[in-house]
Amino acid sequence: MSLPESTPRLELSPGLSIGYGERLACIDEQEGNIVLEGGTHYLLARNGRGKTTLLRTLAGVLNPVDGKYQCRGRCQLLSEDLTFDRELPAKAILKAFLSKDKYAEAIELAETLELDVAKPYGKLSTGNKRKVALLVAEFSVQERGQDVMLLDEPFTGLDTFSREVFQKRWQECRDGVLRLVSCHPDFDSMEMGSCMLISDGKITHLSGEDAPQRWGQLKSQLN
Amino acid sequence: MQLYRLTLATILQRKVWIVAVLCVFLLPVLLPYLTPHEINPSLIEPARAQTAWVCLWVVSIAWLFFQAARFGDDTSRSGLGAYFLSSGVSGLSQMMQIWLACLSFLLPLVAITVAVCLIGAMPAESSQAKMWIATNLQYAALYLLVVTPLMMLAVSAGSRFGSTIGYLIPLCLSVYGIYGVGYLAMMTEVQSNVLLDWIYVISPHYHLADLTPRLVFKHGSMLSSEFLQLVVYFAGIKLVLAMISTFTFQPKAAG
Repeated sequence: MSLPESTPRLELSPGLSIGYGERLACIDEQEGNIVLEGGTHYLLARNGRGKTTLLRTLAGVLNPVDGKYQCRGRCQLLSEDLTFDRELPAKAILKAFLSKDKYAEAIELAETLELDVAKPYGKLSTGNKRKVALLVAEFSVQERGQDVMLLDEPFTGLDTFSREVFQKRWQECRDGVLRLVSCHPDFDSMEMGSCMLISDGKITHLSGEDAPQRWGQLKSQLN
Repeated sequence: MQLYRLTLATILQRKVWIVAVLCVFLLPVLLPYLTPHEINPSLIEPARAQTAWVCLWVVSIAWLFFQAARFGDDTSRSGLGAYFLSSGVSGLSQMMQIWLACLSFLLPLVAITVAVCLIGAMPAESSQAKMWIATNLQYAALYLLVVTPLMMLAVSAGSRFGSTIGYLIPLCLSVYGIYGVGYLAMMTEVQSNVLLDWIYVISPHYHLADLTPRLVFKHGSMLSSEFLQLVVYFAGIKLVLAMISTFTFQPKAAG
């Protein structure tokens, strides 16, 4: 079954190499195309294997060392180091980024997440700072559009409750949005129907029957 | 225009703009009373015009250039530049949005300065008043032609070299253009040196945009032809600085 043209899509061709000048990881020439479409996909690797580099490359912020990829949809790269001015309260940040309607929705979710939107950004905890960035990205998604969200370790510092709120939202709002999430899962039962791995310098994609479904089954495969 | 709104919100939140507004509004009202105005009351008005324009120069060089450089630096280092780049906002557009936000604070300051000169120091005689209005408007135009490209340079240099260097470059350039070129002119008169002559020719002659002596000594407005020549000259410099800024701006941190 072919998906409509409106579906966001990432297609990584065999031979795609990523890195800063030198090759850090690549897709084997013998592999087929890696194709990701709407929904949530996880990107897993040990430290320093190229998760951030891959996300930066797919976002068009960094040139690939070699090879090609295609991205259909409006990208948003939420890098791990994304910060805002320390004196700005979260509500001012959200107001600057979002339309009135979206702002109201974001404030509502912020209340659920127990994020103090009146507090200056610099005085928020690490987890709460991540919530601000995630709210900006989540509510910047276009209505009936094609969005590709590249989230670099969005769960850093986030408590389990907040993480589950976002994961639930991702399940509910998956139409027209492709989320590629790099993370270090901290519980073995975390579900992952589709995941990209970077291990031994190779980028691979596990989905469908190949996918281990749970983080616990997968972590031993990473090197 | 998300980056524009974010930058504008940040300047508002930092609240230093209040000090800037007070400087360009209150100092021209208060400082002229330090002159011996009891002996000569006619000193007040020229002193007010002088203070108003000097305050505007100082505020823009000391505060706005620094803000612009800091925003350039922050955008590049905070990951915001990469975020906007990934969502299709080009580096040029990012630089222009930051620059426009700074300009949004500069324009009211210029308007306040012109208003202080027109309301608080306007000559009584109608022919002099017309000249006064024309001179102030010419001054505002030239001032904007000088300061706005330097502000853009501060944004772009800040993004690439950090806020300190990003601030120092337009600061040095403006101080050199306003004061340094005059000393260079004296040196070229004393000793004949081809290199010095060339440096003098290619230097930005920002002192030509400083019409404060015209206001203080009531020399009247510039002739249209003379004014247009200066507009073309500063527009040329603006073009060069805008090109340098476009190439220098770096929306994402290196590495």
